[in-house]
Amino acid sequence: MPESNFSNSNVTIEQLPTISKLEQQPLSERYAPINRVINLSVILVVCFIASFIYLQPFVDLPAGLQSFLPYFTWAVACLGALFTWFIYAGDNVKSYALRDLDLHYSSGLFFRKVVSQPITRIQHMELKRGPIERKIGIAKLQVFSAGGEMHTFEIPGLPVERAQQIRQFILQHKDVVKHG
Amino acid sequence: MDSENKVSSIDDTGSTDNFHNLDKWQVLSPIAILYFGVSVFKHLFSNIIFLIPAIAVSYKSILEHPFVWLPGILLALALLSVFAFISFKVYRYRLTDDNIEIRSGIFSKKYLNLPFSRVQNVKIEQPIYYRFSGHACLKLDTAGSAKNEAKLIAIKLDYAQQLKTQIQQHGQNSEALNKQQHPTADSNEFQSESAANNTTQEIVLNRRKLSDLVIHGITSNRIWIFLGGLAPFYDRIFNYIGESLTSLGINLTELFSLQSHSILEVALYALSFTMLFMLLLVSFSVIGAIISFYGYTLNKLADKYIRRSGLFTKHEVSMSLSRLQMVVQKQDWLDVLLKRINLYFEQSSSFGKNLDSSASSSKIIVPSIKPYESQALIDDAYPDNSLNVLVNNHEFDAISKRFIFRNIVYIFMPVWLIALSFTLLNGKPMLALLVSILFVTLCGLVILRWKRWGIAKDKNFVYLRKGLLGVDYYCFPIYKLQQIQFKQNLLMKRRQLATVKFVLASGSLTVPMINQTLAYELIDQGLYQVESSKKSWM
Repeated sequence: MPESNFSNSNVTIEQLPTISKLEQQPLSERYAPINRVINLSVILVVCFIASFIYLQPFVDLPAGLQSFLPYFTWAVACLGALFTWFIYAGDNVKSYALRDLDLHYSSGLFFRKVVSQPITRIQHMELKRGPIERKIGIAKLQVFSAGGEMHTFEIPGLPVERAQQIRQFILQHKDVVKHG
Repeated sequence: MDSENKVSSIDDTGSTDNFHNLDKWQVLSPIAILYFGVSVFKHLFSNIIFLIPAIAVSYKSILEHPFVWLPGILLALALLSVFAFISFKVYRYRLTDDNIEIRSGIFSKKYLNLPFSRVQNVKIEQPIYYRFSGHACLKLDTAGSAKNEAKLIAIKLDYAQQLKTQIQQHGQNSEALNKQQHPTADSNEFQSESAANNTTQEIVLNRRKLSDLVIHGITSNRIWIFLGGLAPFYDRIFNYIGESLTSLGINLTELFSLQSHSILEVALYALSFTMLFMLLLVSFSVIGAIISFYGYTLNKLADKYIRRSGLFTKHEVSMSLSRLQMVVQKQDWLDVLLKRINLYFEQSSSFGKNLDSSASSSKIIVPSIKPYESQALIDDAYPDNSLNVLVNNHEFDAISKRFIFRNIVYIFMPVWLIALSFTLLNGKPMLALLVSILFVTLCGLVILRWKRWGIAKDKNFVYLRKGLLGVDYYCFPIYKLQQIQFKQNLLMKRRQLATVKFVLASGSLTVPMINQTLAYELIDQGLYQVESSKKSWM
């Protein structure tokens, strides 16, 4: 559709909408806790297997492995707990912002990163839900541009309804409709 | 054979109205068998390379038992030809007004349906064994993955040319249709202009002489790739060279022994041997460049760039101006000395990622041109760019000096300190000195790297300068951006610095540690231009 009320006034850089002042939306509040639970259980399983191998009476282990296993278990437990806490803190600062013409995703605790994706450059979208995500009603939204697979724009941990809303919004967006 | 009939019906396609008669499934010309055979052989051969060391080790015992391997090879050849023949037999294609369908595959059947409007890029390839019969292969690239490309094998060259224009015309028509529905002032003008030019002849923009290709061979560092590939065989090669030299009456160990010769003599010998070796490698590189770029021409037809080159397999790559994503001007240190430039016209990189500098890559490379030629070509593609002015007046914004500090203090310094204390504690001052020299050199390189970094923008373009010993310039229209990333760690935040990553369809570009306000400006303005211009990136 041609825009009838066409205007083309000069825009100075100060007038442009800036990404330094985005209206950040948080992810689903279930996302960070469930991620923490998953990470912790993976670590627990690894520790459990290691201690099982250490304690089991069936097979004689090589002496080197026997003495190495306790250290390994402790190291996994400590580092795992540390990383889980780190990832949890990181998950809590993830956020996204949806504007009329673009989509933004911010993440990172120490290494902050804001990815901006203009809607007009979107090629296609995917809504991904694993078994756990289905259970608790969250979804991962992936947006593909022509920038290649390395640069897939991805928002994890969205509430399902919200993810579907965003998808509908993008699909019905005039810029996408025109180029699709 | 009825296939002959069908082929001849393609061959005499003089005018385009025959297109409508081609709605039936077509069989390829039998000469396609050759192509299938060669491609299977190539595929096999690339695997055989891994077997070479094994064969080399046990080749004596292999030679003693010809009754084992001779039938084996014969059987393999027979299988190959049967395979090629069946591939040819099952291959069918069909052309309609606006799409092409291909059915192929022996075990896993493939069916490809490609509308012409989705074709990104049309390539004509003529392998050397087709040059006598006047056949060629037509390759159609899509914007999607590399696997989604269609290939018409062994069709007559002039028919391929005709088909190419047909397909490209189609793409243009559908674009024109789109633009009529959504008229924007400048694009309409552009369209009518290009439509008027459609009938005009191809204009030659650039040719490369043999001497240019020799320079390109010398300056491009293909040698090192070659060296890397040879690495597993060094030992064997040197032994072999040593043996053959001995048989010629030259004894290396004697030549280099300090007992019988003075140091100066030995040094001279060593120098001349190195020179000889380098000369040999450089000549390989030159040969590579000539094979890829022999008879290079860059032509322009309306808004389309056409590159033709190749000594054995002739490649033809064409790209319409609207598909051009970025212009890159690359100069290695040797290029800087010789004042030559390699110019790249880059388009969407979903295909041919690994074929970086070879002739079959889908980007258009203009090898080793002079600066004024490069500028003329860039101006031809982007008339309102100001790269030249920026380069001459050094108007690029430097990145923060913290870049030097960060790399030296946080990355190289700790490694150096550890290595230094380790070597000194073990009483090896020579080694410590060596490590320190290495450290100083690296610091120098970091500073050089920092000096090269630069960014500039004007109304429509972003310009980037980077490099180490050489210097590369990147220039892209802002509206071609696909995505922009803003990166900042806590240390950078304290200094108001940020890193910006521009994602284009041809790849991404990162500028580290620029002023935070500039970063926000770049991103905000980039998003604004992408969203307000409504121009397609394709």
